[in-house]
Amino acid sequence: MKHIVKRAGHTEKYDERKLYASVYASCLAVKVPIGEAELVADKVVKEVEDCLKDKYELTSGDIFRRCYQHFQVYNPDAAYMYKHHFTLH
Amino acid sequence: MGRQKNKYDFDLIILGSGAGGGVAAHVAAGLGKKVAMIEPEEIGGECPNWGCVPTKALLHAAEIYEIAKDAKQYGIKIPTVDVDYSRVKKWKDLAVHRTGTSEGKEIYENLGVKMIKGRGHFLNPHEVSVGTKRYTAAKFLVATGTVNFIPPVEGLDKCKYITYREAINLTKLPKSVFVIGGGAIGCEFANIFAAFGSKVHIAEIVEHLLPKEDEENGNLLASVFEDTYDINVLTSTKVAKVEELKNGNKKVFFKRGYKIESVIVEQILVAAGKRANVDIGLENAGVEFTPRNIIVDKTMQTSAKHIYASGDVAGPYMFTHMASYQSKIAGHNLFHREKIQANYKSIPRCTFVKPEMASVGATEEELKRGKIAYNTASTPINVIGRANTENAHTGFVKVITSKTGVILGASIAAPRAGEMIHELALAIQYSMKAEQIAATIHAFPTWSEAVRLACSKIH
Repeated sequence: MKHIVKRAGHTEKYDERKLYASVYASCLAVKVPIGEAELVADKVVKEVEDCLKDKYELTSGDIFRRCYQHFQVYNPDAAYMYKHHFTLH
Repeated sequence: MGRQKNKYDFDLIILGSGAGGGVAAHVAAGLGKKVAMIEPEEIGGECPNWGCVPTKALLHAAEIYEIAKDAKQYGIKIPTVDVDYSRVKKWKDLAVHRTGTSEGKEIYENLGVKMIKGRGHFLNPHEVSVGTKRYTAAKFLVATGTVNFIPPVEGLDKCKYITYREAINLTKLPKSVFVIGGGAIGCEFANIFAAFGSKVHIAEIVEHLLPKEDEENGNLLASVFEDTYDINVLTSTKVAKVEELKNGNKKVFFKRGYKIESVIVEQILVAAGKRANVDIGLENAGVEFTPRNIIVDKTMQTSAKHIYASGDVAGPYMFTHMASYQSKIAGHNLFHREKIQANYKSIPRCTFVKPEMASVGATEEELKRGKIAYNTASTPINVIGRANTENAHTGFVKVITSKTGVILGASIAAPRAGEMIHELALAIQYSMKAEQIAATIHAFPTWSEAVRLACSKIH
């Protein structure tokens, strides 16, 4: 089980649903059809998890950067939304 | 410093136990610092376990085999010469064992260095996570080395291929091998496999083998590979696609110009280069890096003032001797106000093929790019006495100088090029002129006479 070190310093268990939801929401924000958004979110989550499988603790920044890197390949516009939504919040 | 000692678990944490980390660990421990070293794999890193040492041991075995086969022409009778490749591997294992890496943990612990097994990941500028534990330190040295670069070739991910890590541990010689990549690693393995009798194909995307060296080195090696070992040298070639066949063999499609050709081989060896291992949370520590390396200054300091980097992960060359050199500099600079700076003008570069290739300093290509005027002179090795007595006639020594005769670079292709190059490295380090080497008496009959001859041709 991976743990995420949040910006405030506390730790949370990694929850893939959160990552999936943020990718999915970013896709919908740029009018990607629902089916395609689900597909992209599935792929991005899987690729991020593959990259991070040998790590136990990560920062939320690590997850964000890796997610953005893979997300960009599938949909640069949605990835842009993801990046800036993350930055604002 | 006293406050820092209380604040952090260690004075220094080193990520990586290879040449880039090892020397600094000795330096820091010698200064009485509290040091920890994090290593996810074998102690000693790449060079003794999967790189220089095992490949040189395999190349030596290949050379012995060739000498035994050729013994007849020197009046030596050897009834049958055969290869037991599983025992070749055992010889390689012995050479690796003798480096002492298996006792590496105890050696470091005797120095007072805490060894931590696992993969380090920065969580913030002063803290790393290793598995379920966290460790803090006042300073860090990143010496995480490289990871293998796997090129984006269609079908490669569905195909059983090997890299140098598996290639050194084969117990059976493949009948045929396709080597993707004509750099130093690819060429050394092509030489090993071909010398033992495999049919070898080697593909390089650049116009010549050993793309980081001058063209004539690569071209000479290509002609030796083709003429002596019957290696299929494919330069200016891009591997387009691979397929695994039902019998386990692999079909490799490669593109040369507009033409796509294919070949069926038993094994594919991917040797397309290495990339810096920077996937360690460097962003969390404020360390700037590119996909190729961690950005360091001449003191090996990164953009985070308390974090240094050395070895392959810092570049610019990926050699053990370079990593040790940088590690010593980093080890000093981490704990001293008066910093020492790295100087890369005379770093020798060797590829241990037959004939050995060695070079130092600038290449002609680099000088042309920098619009620096230069003179060059070369001599073939077949004109010297040693070539006659050893019956080895292929090779050359080339010297590059400034217009005033100061040696700027050199390259050698000769049986002991890796030894010969150091005379020229010394000359470059101390800005000597070619005429000074030319005026120095060299013993007869040595390979180094070719160095003196080449220098004497510079006017």
